[in-house]
Amino acid sequence: MNEVLRIENLSKKFGRKSVLKDFSMSIEKGKVYGLLAKNGEGKTTLIRVIMGVIPPDQGELFYKSQKIKFNETSYKKEIGYIPEESIFFSWMTIKELLNFNASFFPTWNAKKADDYLERFSLEKRTRIKNLSRGMKLKLGFMVALASEPEFLILDDPTSGLDVPTRQDFLKGVIEEILEGGTTILFSTHLVHELEGIIDHLSILHQGRLILDQDFEEVKSSVKRVRLKFDKNIPEKLELEGILTERKDGPCKELVFYPWNEEKRERLQALRPASMEIESLTLEEIFISFVS
Amino acid sequence: MIKVETKSFIPIYEQIKKEIKNRISQGIFKANEPLPSIRELATQLLINPNTVARAYRELEQEGFIYTRKGKGCYVSDNSSSLVKDDNLNLLTQLIDKTIEEAKKLNLNPEEIKRLFEKRLEQAWGSEEERGKE
Repeated sequence: MNEVLRIENLSKKFGRKSVLKDFSMSIEKGKVYGLLAKNGEGKTTLIRVIMGVIPPDQGELFYKSQKIKFNETSYKKEIGYIPEESIFFSWMTIKELLNFNASFFPTWNAKKADDYLERFSLEKRTRIKNLSRGMKLKLGFMVALASEPEFLILDDPTSGLDVPTRQDFLKGVIEEILEGGTTILFSTHLVHELEGIIDHLSILHQGRLILDQDFEEVKSSVKRVRLKFDKNIPEKLELEGILTERKDGPCKELVFYPWNEEKRERLQALRPASMEIESLTLEEIFISFVS
Repeated sequence: MIKVETKSFIPIYEQIKKEIKNRISQGIFKANEPLPSIRELATQLLINPNTVARAYRELEQEGFIYTRKGKGCYVSDNSSSLVKDDNLNLLTQLIDKTIEEAKKLNLNPEEIKRLFEKRLEQAWGSEEERGKE
């Protein structure tokens, strides 16, 4: 398999709080992964461990089948990392920052950096300390893309940005996909932005990966079923895979995963007056899994 | 401009297919004219190019569009009649659903027919008037 990153049995505690518990995941080349979790459930911790910012308590990381030791830097030359808040040397000018990065990344694309500077209306002679938060985010994005990464990690990069700037970001991400081959791990709390972008959905909940599947498959196997009964409303449904359940008078609303023909037949056998089956948005899918 | 709604439960590729079919049926996209490229549509709609490619692939399999090697996708000759069939199928499903509901409400076929005729009149004028056009 064409694997970019493999995470094996990763555990991480902060004090007594266990943030990642025996976490394993595999990331395939050329795909766009959506990583979703509620706040404080390990998303950023996971990304920081991948980037070698913090060491794991247990577990191993493999980049392109090579085991990575903590403090190793060579693999990071192939990764573009956009954290929520980029940290730069504030005394540098943008030009100095670009030169600094160009010396670190062998694949640095100066033309791409210049193109983005123009698109984002940033000037080379401006000092970083004089930039607003939004402009610093743009700079972080530009620096990550100009290094022509094979693997792009986006940790909630669009939070706190205005809509037009977010769209510029997403456009940049789409262009990366169009250039071909870039693997992307995209984490955001603006869940709906991922709807049209991801190939694969991973949901992290209470330190574990509770969903890790092709997004089209997820879309077709999570269904909401609305049942209406004239009489004999069944109290409890003896069916597996019910994510959420709601009762409203003679109606029952259930979200199933995985949905299948057998379940449909078994519900039909309860003789409901009506039965409606619908798909869910990514936002609704996420909520169904973590609530 | 083709639009998609990311907050919808309808898969994005289905939305793209529907938008393109609508444009064919409205005559905006004409036979043998080129469709927007995958690159154009992906960057304009901010969606994964694979999703656009999937929509185009399915439209091609269903005969609505065809590919010219190295040049992109074009609208098929018989696309508008295919879209017409498609629309009629869709309408049939909607009517079936309505009839199903009407049955539950204990309405008989005569009543349904009368009501249907009345709604058509509201939209287009009476049968005689429609005949004159």
